[in-house]
Amino acid sequence: MSKKEPVIFAIGWNACINCGACVAICPQEAGFISPFDTIAVDRPCDIACLLCEDICPVSTITHKRA
Amino acid sequence: MPDSQYDLVIIGSGPAGSTTARFAAQHGLKVLLVDKRQELGAPIQCSGAVSRHALEEVGITPDAEFIHEPIYGFGIYNGRGEKTTIDYRRLKPEEYGPEDGKKPLGYVVDRRRFDRYLMTQAERAGVEVWLKTEGLSYRPDANGSCEVFLRRFNQEIKVKARILVGADGLQSQVGKWAGLRTHIKITELASCLQFIVDQVETEGLLEIITGHEWAPGGYAWVFPKGHGYAEIGLGVISTMTDKDAQWHLDKFIRQSFFKDRFENSRILEIQGGGVPLAAPLRTQYADNLILVGDAARHVNPITGGGIHTALSGGYIAGNFLAEFLNSGQPPTAQNLEGYQNAWLEALGNKMWKLYGVKADIFRNNDIEERDALLYQTMAGYFSPNSEYKKI
Repeated sequence: MSKKEPVIFAIGWNACINCGACVAICPQEAGFISPFDTIAVDRPCDIACLLCEDICPVSTITHKRA
Repeated sequence: MPDSQYDLVIIGSGPAGSTTARFAAQHGLKVLLVDKRQELGAPIQCSGAVSRHALEEVGITPDAEFIHEPIYGFGIYNGRGEKTTIDYRRLKPEEYGPEDGKKPLGYVVDRRRFDRYLMTQAERAGVEVWLKTEGLSYRPDANGSCEVFLRRFNQEIKVKARILVGADGLQSQVGKWAGLRTHIKITELASCLQFIVDQVETEGLLEIITGHEWAPGGYAWVFPKGHGYAEIGLGVISTMTDKDAQWHLDKFIRQSFFKDRFENSRILEIQGGGVPLAAPLRTQYADNLILVGDAARHVNPITGGGIHTALSGGYIAGNFLAEFLNSGQPPTAQNLEGYQNAWLEALGNKMWKLYGVKADIFRNNDIEERDALLYQTMAGYFSPNSEYKKI
């Protein structure tokens, strides 16, 4: 498997419906969550599988390179 | 100050956690139930449909406090709008109906009030409940118990428990603490969105609309929500579409065979969630720890329904843990496998079988054939003769 570049996620809070699907699909270890029960946005994700972006019912998760 | 010592600490006060707590306390265990939220049930991530049988089985009397609307059957549609009606008011008129002496088949419940009601019942059975309390970690100790680290209104607290119960939902962190394989595949987690709407008529049936055209990988639904309101939603598997659930729901409302029915709908609430259409976790226990409810993926893989399975799982877990701890066995992973075995026998084996049925449908890559299979399976699932009726 090719090594992916770490990313930092950003959540468009205006559209976020707090559904928790991003955390449910996230393969990160425990604790990769924000105080608003989404995936973490304050530190890099080194897996960068982007499944959270795929599962989001309102497409409100984006990322930039860490 | 010595650490508080409990038999069980349960993280998450949804239907599974509070039911586990209630039955454990009824059998004399000292139970602490914690939830990080200030208001249970919210944010709502669920449509709220549950059978009457599922409530009665765990000693919950249907109560106006939490019921939005009684349900009498199902309307199952294929993608073209052809319908199979399974209305128990017509199938068994002597038993089901709104009249005195007859009963509903099930209910759509208000998850905020329902979850609070279940917590209240647990509390009245002797469970200690802490809201605004999140679980941080746990650590088995040398005496066969474990330490559970909590944060309650910003204060860090350590308590001791003989067994920690993870009832913290699909986003379960407790399962990850124990190193259990909780990861779900993207092909088996439906991305769901629903609107509570005004101005959409319903007739006491749970309506389920199948078909790749409307909800690739999942299905769409129209449920009665009480007071003349309805719930319109759908779930999609994101690998089967380039669009998100919001796009599909908009298309379903504007373009489907229900577009005239939905024409004047007004959105009152927006809710979403991930719904597993997956197998239960293969391992739901570790040293000093078990998982229940969504955290153990106790969810019906065909319907995505999770309230009945959470209540039943909680009943099994609460009773098992009481008997287990009262027998004096050490709560090692090896011994706690008994919980999973009891659950498999009562419920889990049937869920595994349903998972097989579901997997067979979606293994078919021909959309027309798959649509036909899903429609038949859904219609058969809810028929009075279904072997899965009690899940």
